[in-house]
This record gives sequence, structure tokens and C-alpha cells, in this order.
Amino acid sequence: MRKPLLLSLAGSAILAGFSVAALPFSRGLFRVPRTPYDANEASFLAPAWILLQRAAEIVPRDVSVVVRGEPPDATNDSYLHRFAVALLPGRKIVPAAVWNVASAPETLREADYEVVVGGKALAPPGSRLVLSIPEGSVWKRER
Amino acid sequence: MRAGYLWLASFAILPLVGAPFLGHRAFRGFGILCRTVLAGGVGMVLLSATMTVWALAGWRWGPVLVLASAGVAFALRGLIPKRSDPALPDPRAERRDEGPARTPVWIALVLTAISILAALAATIAARSTSPDLLLFWGPKAQQFASAGTIDTAFLSAPHLEYLHVYYPPLVTNVFAFGAIAAGRFPWGAATLTFPLLLAATAAGLAGILRADAPAPRAAAASALVICALGLAGIASSVAGNAEPFLLFFEILGVALLLTPAARSDAGKLLAGLFLAGAAAAKVEGLPFVLAVVVLFLLLDRSAARPLARSALLLLAPTIVSIGAWLAFGATRRVFFGYKGYGHSLEFHWDHLSAVVSAIGIALWRVGYALPFAVPILVLLATRPKDRRVFLPLGVAAALSVFLVLTYLQSTQDPRLWISWSAARTFSPVTALVALASFCGREEPR
Repeated sequence: MRKPLLLSLAGSAILAGFSVAALPFSRGLFRVPRTPYDANEASFLAPAWILLQRAAEIVPRDVSVVVRGEPPDATNDSYLHRFAVALLPGRKIVPAAVWNVASAPETLREADYEVVVGGKALAPPGSRLVLSIPEGSVWKRER
Repeated sequence: MRAGYLWLASFAILPLVGAPFLGHRAFRGFGILCRTVLAGGVGMVLLSATMTVWALAGWRWGPVLVLASAGVAFALRGLIPKRSDPALPDPRAERRDEGPARTPVWIALVLTAISILAALAATIAARSTSPDLLLFWGPKAQQFASAGTIDTAFLSAPHLEYLHVYYPPLVTNVFAFGAIAAGRFPWGAATLTFPLLLAATAAGLAGILRADAPAPRAAAASALVICALGLAGIASSVAGNAEPFLLFFEILGVALLLTPAARSDAGKLLAGLFLAGAAAAKVEGLPFVLAVVVLFLLLDRSAARPLARSALLLLAPTIVSIGAWLAFGATRRVFFGYKGYGHSLEFHWDHLSAVVSAIGIALWRVGYALPFAVPILVLLATRPKDRRVFLPLGVAAALSVFLVLTYLQSTQDPRLWISWSAARTFSPVTALVALASFCGREEPR
């Protein structure tokens, strides 16, 4: 076998070997993941993904929804707004924070539903609980 | 689950859209698998461009788009002059690759298959999903499918600036097309575009390179490219974002220009369509296309003559495709051209050392920089003497300079930005270096 050919194949073998080694064997390669981010560097997205997927089943279309984290954090809430735009299509998403700046509290109170990711949330005033799972809770504002 | 299968199945339409063009006799030498992949690429470019033109005209997307795109493919076939034959080898020559030469081909195929299967396993195991799928590629595609067009109201809505409204439309259009067919946007299935396009790139690349070299050399070069992209993609989490699309179009477009296909009008138009796919997939696809065309015209004078005609065949699809997109943005007052990350031509040279070290750290985090180091070492060891090597290497150098200058435009410390983007944005560079090893020393056929 000629040298250039041998080098290309040897290089390919090294890269293919490292590709296999990069697989998440320790997490159980054949275990079905709960979210597309389970074994990823962005696995912090997983709880929000699970809660928002569940919320999508119970929050009607055409209502307004605010999604926020518990404890409150403007940076985290900015991202949760973006995830809600993706995973709650057809709803009006009210941002709890935009570009790491928290929205005014009265803005949040306009939302028909409140999705709280993580932690033990205190009941938002005038709301009733419609879903509670380990990843967070969903509240409906009583008008 | 059913929506995911339907969404993936909708991709089967793409080769049918491109088939009228690839059905031309000029492309018969590529072999059936390679031609199917090339037809899929052409179909993707034409379908996306047609969807953009439809949106520009204010028409809602529907099944007629497929017919219109196939009609464009048929019209492009009519543009190929008679006797435009890329002088590809007789497919029957495959039979001569018997005996000892078969062993390296099989080794290369096995290594390629391992890389593709690793990419598939990483995607299914949720190891390589890109956050950008959730942040903007998916939401835009989902909304466009629901609206049946490129939704201007959504793109201009307050608080949604992070969607990068000016990003070129191919990925969102193709995702939206599948979502219309499936009834909803399936997030999990969208991640499978990574292994799917890696496999398509492998099949297309091996077939294209085979037109210019014995099977062992074509298979080995293709394996090196795919194994590098596989590891880079797994480690830098590209599943569900635009990189697999960008690389598919970039690598196959440049590969076409390294083979005898570049000597014919048919081959140049095909390469031009793939370059248009790269430009319509990501912003950095446009400087890539410009670098490829300029270097091809400068370096391969005999293949590029007449220069104006070659430039037209290579650039016209990009001009039409990106022109329609920029016209859409301007007429709807959603965006006016591409947006930089700072003032144009204002570079923060004081960030240079931070940028270079951050790029080095980012590449190191991707399999200890092996996807980048191995192709470079193979290239240095093979010491290519063929002039054509300067095309992929020149484009790789131009793209590297463009990326560094882009990072230098940031007014703020760019290290965080580089940490999550550099391994992806530099992946075409490593693929081009790996491809350059194909232009190494000639071996007896």
C-alpha cells in the first residue's frame, strides 16, 4: 500500500476511534433520552424542555404565557423566553426578562398562564396550579 | 414519532426535484448513488430558492412548489450545451479495481461507516444536539411552516431579535417544507440531519473523487474528510443546526472543481448550484463561495476558460438565491443585507491574542484538536505536488482569515462567543485540508 493512502487510512482510523470514544457510554448509549439535550454540554436545558413539552399539552393556543425560573434570574429567564417561543408555538410569549434585564412585574401579571421552571414556586397571586412535576409547575391566572 | 418519520421521508422528494438536471447524460459517469446524492443537493437548493421566491411574491407555500422546483431543474438541464461532457470515466472501469486495490477501499468504507454510525449514535443518545436548533433554526422553521411562508410578522416581532432574521433561508426553508408535510416540526428528527447529511456527503464525495482517481485514493480521501467531520460534529454539537448542510454543499462543490467535471459547462453549473447551497445555508457560505470562484478562476486557467462564462455558471445560482433572500428582507423591511458583529472594517486588534488563544482552546476541546491536526499532518506527510491543491488550501486560508476578522469585529471580549462557535465555524477548514490530501501524488491506475 502506498504511503499517502496508508496515511489517509491511518488518520481516518484515529478519527473514527475518537468518534466512538466520544459517545456517552457511561450514560447508557441505548437508553432513550428524555430530551435531545440529555447527554449534551447543554444538558441544563433538559428540565425546561420537559416542563415546556408538558405545558404545551395543557396550555391552549392563543393565550399568553410567561415562563420564568425559580429562583428568579434575569439571564436564565431571558433564555427561558426563547425556549418558550420554540416549544409553545401559537401562544403569545410574555418575556420575564429580555437580554438579561428583568421585565416589570405588572407585565408578567398580564399573562394568562405562568410556567415556573425549577424549585418550589410560591403560588403566583390569583393563580391556580394546573401542573406540578419535578421540573417545575404551570399556573393558570384566575381572572 | 409519526411526524418525525414523515418529516424525514419528505427529504426523499429532494432527489426527485433535482433529477431532471442530474439526469443529463453529462453526469452519467458519477454513478447512480453519487448522482442521487447530487440530485438531492440540487433539489434542496432549487426547492429552497423557489420557496424564497414564492414568499417574495406573497404566495403561500403548497405542493405546487415541488413541481415548480423540478421545472427549474428541467430548465437548467436545457441550459447545458450539447457535448458538454465532463469526460468522466466509464463506470465499468470499477470492475478493474480488483485484487489488492480492493483492500484499502474496504478499509476506507469501514472507517467511513464507523464515523457515520458514531454520528448517528451520538445524535440518538442526545450527545450532539445543537442549542441553536432550539434557539432559532427550529422556531423559525416551525413558524414558517405554520404560516405557509416566510413569516414577516414573526421575524419583526419585539423581543425576537435573537432569531438572526437575516440568516440565509435554506435550512429553515427545508425544515419548514418537511414540517408542512409532517403536520408539525419534529425536534428529534431534525437532529438526525447530522448523520444523514454526513452519509450523503460521504456518498457524494467518494463518487465525485472517483471521477478523477483510482477507487482506493478516492475512498481514502473521502474517509479522511468524513472521519474528521464526524468527530468534529459529535464533539461540537452540530446536530440540528446548519453546519451539516453547509459542509455538504461546500465539500461537494469544491470537490467537483477538483475533478474533470470542472472542465465542462455542465460540471461548472452543478458546482455553481452546490456553491449556492453553501451561500444559502449560512452567512459564512457567501465569502466561501467568493473565495472558491476567485481561486478557481486564477488557479485552473485551462479549466476556467472562458473566464466570464465560468464565473457566470459558478456564481449565477448564488446571485439568484441570495438575491431573492435579500430582496425579501428589503421589500418587507425586515433586514437590509447581512449584519456584522460590529462596525464593518473596524477590527479590534487588541483582541488578537485573546482571539487566537480562544480559537486554539476551542479546537483543543474538540477531540484534542485531532479533527484539525490529523488532516494537516496527513497533508504535510503526503507533500502534494498537484497545483489543484491550492484551491482547497487557498479557500481554507481565506475562510480562516474571514473568521478571525469576524471575531475581531466584536466590540466586547469575544472569548465566550469563540468558545461555543469556533469548533463549528472552523470545521470547513479541516474538511478542505483533508480534501487537499486528495490532490497528492499521482498513483498508477
